[in-house]
Amino acid sequence: MNENQSFDEKLMQAAGALETEIAPERDLWPDIESAIARPPRRRWNIVLAQAAAVLLLIGASSGLTYLAMNARTPSATPPADNTALHYEQASFGDQYMLGPDYEDARSRLKGQLDEHLQRMSPEARVDVEKNLEAIRAAIEEISRALAYDPDNALLQELLLSTYREELSLMMKVDSVANVVMTRTDI
Amino acid sequence: MATTATGSDPVVAVTEQGLADEIGWVERARQADTSAFESLYRLHVDKVYGLCLRMTGNVSEAEDCTQEAFIQAWTKLSKFRGDSAFSTWLHRIAVNSVLGRMRKSRREQDRIQAVTDISPAPETMVDTGNFEDLQNAVDELPQGARHVFVLHAVYGYSHDETSDMLGIAAGTSKAQLHRAKRLLAQQLKKSGYES
Repeated sequence: MNENQSFDEKLMQAAGALETEIAPERDLWPDIESAIARPPRRRWNIVLAQAAAVLLLIGASSGLTYLAMNARTPSATPPADNTALHYEQASFGDQYMLGPDYEDARSRLKGQLDEHLQRMSPEARVDVEKNLEAIRAAIEEISRALAYDPDNALLQELLLSTYREELSLMMKVDSVANVVMTRTDI
Repeated sequence: MATTATGSDPVVAVTEQGLADEIGWVERARQADTSAFESLYRLHVDKVYGLCLRMTGNVSEAEDCTQEAFIQAWTKLSKFRGDSAFSTWLHRIAVNSVLGRMRKSRREQDRIQAVTDISPAPETMVDTGNFEDLQNAVDELPQGARHVFVLHAVYGYSHDETSDMLGIAAGTSKAQLHRAKRLLAQQLKKSGYES
């Protein structure tokens, strides 16, 4: 090496001289061969399994959230306008459109969500945000699966259930926030 | 394996006969001929594994990434158009495999090391250099700097190719290389390298 070469040049030369071919310590082919010999699984089966797993998780964690939040507001007054909130079943056809009432309720609750979240304890807020994130990820996942298999009734049902989960969680947040705001026993 | 570098592609190093064989194996593998695919595996496994090992710094993960890369290559063979060398296409898949695993794995976080990114690189060195510990120093680089250094400095990919493979901007690739050099200078200095 030239004495006047910069460190960078020498480093790059040394790096370029490193071995680029390294033999694995064991033969990896048998595992690869058995993997490629298996018949490919249908994509929607995988997605369906993932979606079902996500929904189970969401169900469990939203239940816990609900219990935790209710425990923090023992003298809760029933929310004022929850009963007025109706939503229609999403219409499943070529396009997976939600009914207008459902969309209205969802938009209204989404609009109020940030404000309500600010009033929650940090732990409850993190919990709710995690649940919502999981639900929205599930909605995206199921929608992608439906793009592959548009007539799959089970996937359609899963999508609807997931939207219900989202709405339900937002309603719980809304009702708890209203209760906190209207308490008169403090 | 007799090799002759082609010049235009930094990682392609096969004889003309080898290249003809490779094209034939690719064609046969596309027809679901696993023995042809095994020939492709035997031809390329050392480079793919080497790349995975240098990028992950972990034997077990490198083995997993190599297997995943070849399985992905098998399923995507119909998409290989021959616009680039088969080895380059395969390397892209291997890099994606590494990146995918790294994203999923939290093990990378355990690799955090105490090197601080502050001292400038030495300008010159007076002896013949001491780069025996270079591989270890590369293994200890943070993920982003290590990936760029391995692809650009070890495997000879340009910054454009490196950034394309890693899904980053070319400017980021250059910045990461600069960072890698500075960190390596520090590491090598600790290991006894004298400027």
